[in-house]
Amino acid sequence: MSATALRIPHEEPERRDLLSWITTTDHKRIGILYLLTSLGYFGVAGALSLVIRTQLSRPNNTLVSAHEYAQLFTLHGTAMIFLFVAPFAFGLGNFLIPLQIGAADMAFPRLNATSYWLFLFGGLTVFLGAATSEGAAASGWVAYPPLSEIRVSTGLGQDLWIVGVFLVSVATIVTSINFVTTVFIYRAPGMTMWRIPIFTWEMVATSLLVFMAFPSLAATLLLLFVDRRLGGHAFDPAFGGSPVLWDHLFWFFGHPEVYVMILPYFGVISEIIPVFSRKPIFGYTGLVLAAFAIAGLSMGVWAHHMFTTGVVNNPFFSFVSFLIAVPTGVKFFNWIATMWRGSISFETPMLFAIGFLLNFLIGGITGVMIASPPIDYQAHDSYFVVAHFHYVLGGGSLFAIFAAMFFWWPKMFGVKLDETLGKWCFWLLFIGFNVTFLPMHFMGVLGMPRRVVTYNAGGPLPILNLIATCGSYVMFVGVALFAYNAIISARSRIPVGSDPWRANSLEWWTTSPPPEHNFDSLPPIRSERPVYDARVRAK
Amino acid sequence: MTIGLRLFISSATFGIVIAIAYWSTSREIIGTFMLGIMAFGLSFIAGYMIVAEREADLIGDKKEATMADGAGEIAGTYTIRSPLPLGTAAAVTCVFLGLVISPTIAILGVLATLAFGALLIVQSR
Repeated sequence: MSATALRIPHEEPERRDLLSWITTTDHKRIGILYLLTSLGYFGVAGALSLVIRTQLSRPNNTLVSAHEYAQLFTLHGTAMIFLFVAPFAFGLGNFLIPLQIGAADMAFPRLNATSYWLFLFGGLTVFLGAATSEGAAASGWVAYPPLSEIRVSTGLGQDLWIVGVFLVSVATIVTSINFVTTVFIYRAPGMTMWRIPIFTWEMVATSLLVFMAFPSLAATLLLLFVDRRLGGHAFDPAFGGSPVLWDHLFWFFGHPEVYVMILPYFGVISEIIPVFSRKPIFGYTGLVLAAFAIAGLSMGVWAHHMFTTGVVNNPFFSFVSFLIAVPTGVKFFNWIATMWRGSISFETPMLFAIGFLLNFLIGGITGVMIASPPIDYQAHDSYFVVAHFHYVLGGGSLFAIFAAMFFWWPKMFGVKLDETLGKWCFWLLFIGFNVTFLPMHFMGVLGMPRRVVTYNAGGPLPILNLIATCGSYVMFVGVALFAYNAIISARSRIPVGSDPWRANSLEWWTTSPPPEHNFDSLPPIRSERPVYDARVRAK
Repeated sequence: MTIGLRLFISSATFGIVIAIAYWSTSREIIGTFMLGIMAFGLSFIAGYMIVAEREADLIGDKKEATMADGAGEIAGTYTIRSPLPLGTAAAVTCVFLGLVISPTIAILGVLATLAFGALLIVQSR
């Protein structure tokens, strides 16, 4: 970096009014806006899932019609994947990356703010479909043609879905460019690439994955839009098109998207476990290389979602899918080795991190199972697959999201969340989650297909579904308890200081919450744990 | 060679290898094309970085650098507030919403996008 720099005018008093939030280009505020917006979408998606589970609580239920049910699971999946799990990670990245590398802001602050607003408007556009005469999109979050084509989905809801998801995908690509540029260019003196925190590394890997995968989504959505509105036939076999083309193009994005939704949370776990084990992270370099190995390999597995089409090279995709288990296993062993003989304390962030490990292990193992084509032929489109990806994204990402909130809440807002309520929240979510999703493995093995509005009485399916529904209500109580915790913590106004967890990375050096210019001073950066080093020096 | 450059060169190499491996084993056009595009894009970024790195002298890459090494002339200040991002995003949304709902909204969106884009350029100077 040259010796000239643009500086934030930090002599200005910090404004807290609504207008200052709407016009902000400060990465921390944009990060918080991302987090709150994605949590809002999570609330809506969670409410939709409760309706879904209530509908399935007993056989031959008529709470919602088949078309309404299709809209419910479409909006639920779309909101959870495009509007919650991935954007929450981008919110965390926005808040944390400049702080972790000792920068004053993102490389392109106004572009960053533009990305956030595009994400917000894109999400609202998706939900706007529910207000149209024929309702929201109803072709699932994967929008397979011909279900998503104009001759089947005649309403505006599907078009609004396409436009909304397209806007979100553009916002995601732009934010990723911002992340990578910021990390490459704006690191503080001494913050070499091999000293940046694992979370920031994971966000770099995630951004790289976004560069590779999301253009495919954007292009595919435009093709579908041309099919629907301009008379195109890209996916219509009657005119030389092919629905399998959609499968290829969509899953070229879709499977890497799974890793876009999990790699940042690997980073979260890698930040939390060392702090509460009172040990440095085991195998820093291995964790970084494993992240990039996962990102790279994930670009070669898209058609394992298409094993049953019979038109893809099953052995190739199966082999590469199995390979991903190796770097993922490396990470898992590194986390366990970090805890091994550590002085572990079980504060709420650590509980959620351990919950992540247990749930993700189950999701990972079932993932290896269905990477095998013979098993996938049996499990495809059944509740076994629903259980698998909920263990990865719910038991994995969602638990890491709660871990992140409890861990970085003091840094964001200057107050801690209540520990007792936090532990209650953890146990309700952990028990509720497993009661909801563990039975779904058995439903799938028994042959219950996914995305069906109801099922017949008789056999074990009714009781398994009822158990799953009860679990979802327990999860709802856990989430409500978190919301209550957030409200009372905001009222408590008990300051926590800059480093309440005695953590390691640079964000814990500055005040809580940080000033607009982030740092009044920085410690010498000589390892990946500069704040720990400073504590040792102070002794 | 910086880590960033190594990252993109490795990724581009991986992209080329997997594209060749996929075509060799599958003879399938769509996936090979997508992997090829991906490898080309990554190679392009790597190539750009090779050129750009000639002038790179990042203080963050220096292991023993101190805060004082990073200090220097202050070229100016930038605002941490601007209404233009919200306006630009709203305008772009109108363009695409207009394609679904009404061409008038789309045209207004295009005009607004151009206006906000021009303002952004002016503000950036």
